Amino acid sequence: MNKEIKALIKDFYEHDYILNEELATSVFLLKNLEKPLLLEGNPGVGKTMLAKTLAKHLGTKLIRLQCYEGLDVSTTIYEWNYQKQLLHIKLFESEKDKIALENQIFGMDYVLQRPLLQSIRAEKPVVLLIDEIDRADEEFEAYLLELLSDFQISIPELGTIRATSKPLVILTSNRTRELSDALRRRCLYHWVDFPSKAKEIDIITKKLPNIDEVLATQVVTFIHNLRKSSLNKPPGIAESLDWAKTLLLLNVDNITDEIVHNTIGSVLKHKDDVEFVRNKSVQEFLYPID
Amino acid sequence: MLAVDKTFKERLIDFTMYCRERQFVLGPQETRDAFAIAERGYVLDRKLFQYSLKAIYCKRKEHFDRFDEMFDRFWSRYYEEKLEERKKKIQPIKKEPETSTVIFLGAKFNVPKKEKEIEAKQTKGANESIRLRRTDFSKVDIEDKKHLEELAEELFHQMSMRFKRRLENSNKGSVDIRRTIRNGLGKGGLLLDLAYKKKRKEKRKIVFILDVSGSMDTYSYYLLRYIMVLKKYFKSLEFFTFSTDLTHITPLLRENSEQETIKHIGKNVNSWSSGTKIGESLTKFISVYGNKFLSQKHIVVILSDGLETGSVTVLKEAVRTIRRKCKTLVWLNPLKGMKDYQPIQKGMVSVMPHLDAFESAHNLDSLLKLEKLLMDV
Repeated sequence: MNKEIKALIKDFYEHDYILNEELATSVFLLKNLEKPLLLEGNPGVGKTMLAKTLAKHLGTKLIRLQCYEGLDVSTTIYEWNYQKQLLHIKLFESEKDKIALENQIFGMDYVLQRPLLQSIRAEKPVVLLIDEIDRADEEFEAYLLELLSDFQISIPELGTIRATSKPLVILTSNRTRELSDALRRRCLYHWVDFPSKAKEIDIITKKLPNIDEVLATQVVTFIHNLRKSSLNKPPGIAESLDWAKTLLLLNVDNITDEIVHNTIGSVLKHKDDVEFVRNKSVQEFLYPID
Repeated sequence: MLAVDKTFKERLIDFTMYCRERQFVLGPQETRDAFAIAERGYVLDRKLFQYSLKAIYCKRKEHFDRFDEMFDRFWSRYYEEKLEERKKKIQPIKKEPETSTVIFLGAKFNVPKKEKEIEAKQTKGANESIRLRRTDFSKVDIEDKKHLEELAEELFHQMSMRFKRRLENSNKGSVDIRRTIRNGLGKGGLLLDLAYKKKRKEKRKIVFILDVSGSMDTYSYYLLRYIMVLKKYFKSLEFFTFSTDLTHITPLLRENSEQETIKHIGKNVNSWSSGTKIGESLTKFISVYGNKFLSQKHIVVILSDGLETGSVTVLKEAVRTIRRKCKTLVWLNPLKGMKDYQPIQKGMVSVMPHLDAFESAHNLDSLLKLEKLLMDV
């Protein structure tokens, strides 16, 4: 294995994130090719956490943009500080040189910087997390194209603002809708799958050092078998961790039907799924898997 | 920086072409990035090179799942050659087996004569996609099946993007004065940001009823995938399958991956690949689901070869009722794609007068042509 990738895996491990070689290579390329990385995968597989850990690994700031329907330029890139502009106009009403006045109020001092602009104007490269891009509208994807390919933003009154430092951009998507080809082509891509059983046990024991290994194995076996069932919302790693924490709090050393009945709410978030599990015996989900 | 030789560059370009032929969307930028990683020496480490190319060339999960196999198929020979070169430096020179030069996807390779035939089989012509698009699903051989699936996946994806663009086009309505004034309050009353009323979205309601009986076996799989793509863009799409009995499939279309959904459906539909009782199944549809899914807003699409084994009278009556209760009734029959096909089977003859449209659905081209029909309804 490449030395730098090995070091990356080790450092991420120290920050409680277990990278596999393939994902580590994508992160390595993100740093070296200076291209954004698009992470797709089911909810709860650690996509957002990867960006947070990358920021810790680089000792830099994380700028997060949580996407939602209706997101636009004024909330993501910039907005003019209208109140400040109006005050300035009032103060200099008697100014005869109107062009100079106009130039003043359309300067950088009057721009409210939103996350995307902040990320390219930072002195040191930051990690920019554009989270759940699939929730945003297609128009917003189009705004992003210029930033993702050239690391610059165009503001009509100011012209093109180039990046002072190129941010490391991570986009995540839960695949609730198809992203445009134009966006995909500007990014490196990685599909983040649910971890293997061994890796998930590693994650739990790393995050919860007090947990008994037998209990951790039981939790992971149960969760992996649940993921194989046709649930409305299969549990992610976050749910495995929540459940393991709950069991630790309750001093449980062995998973029984009663324990599952009382604590399954921390794993499953859908009424039908909860009923599905409660109607079955715990042993059905604890049989060994590969 | 590693000096990358011309042969390697050619091979990398060939690999890009090889991926493009398998519906990867790759432009010059991806090739440039691939050269960049080769020049950085990543090519010396097979896994690093493989994972790097994977991150650059894959743009969606379906690509991601197929890439490793494609990489192995294409690059194994290269890495074997490199290994042999290293061995040769250590061992005394042996006489090389008789080889011949073959051209594979535009690149020259020296291969032992015995392998020549196998390699030649893998060579695909430039018109491969066109040929596959026109091939009847029932006549696809095992060799072509995989390529056809890859092609179907890509073409359906492109179609879905077109649907999306058209459906989401011009969503802006007139200016919303009330919201515009409210937005201006914080800006000294200046109306700088115009707020728009959203156009009322037209509700399209489509019901698909797919025949999964034995005689439709070779078509059902592709038709199923086609419907699953449409499901993403028609919020009100209901899906049923039938052979001897009717199954409501819509609740099963929740899986993230199409393959998982297909497996899921396979498990839950008991009558898959059995006989055909179209009339009885449609009658059940009317009696159980008719109140909910049959109205003047619904378009009903039946996908079946019309080879009825039950009562023709029941079939005729069911189709007549559906037509009376819905807005449009479309019948898609894969057999229509056959040369000289005439709908002369008793089942088809009885239903023909009640149909608004009767189209074929036997190959990828015919499925893609339905796009216009569905957009216009």
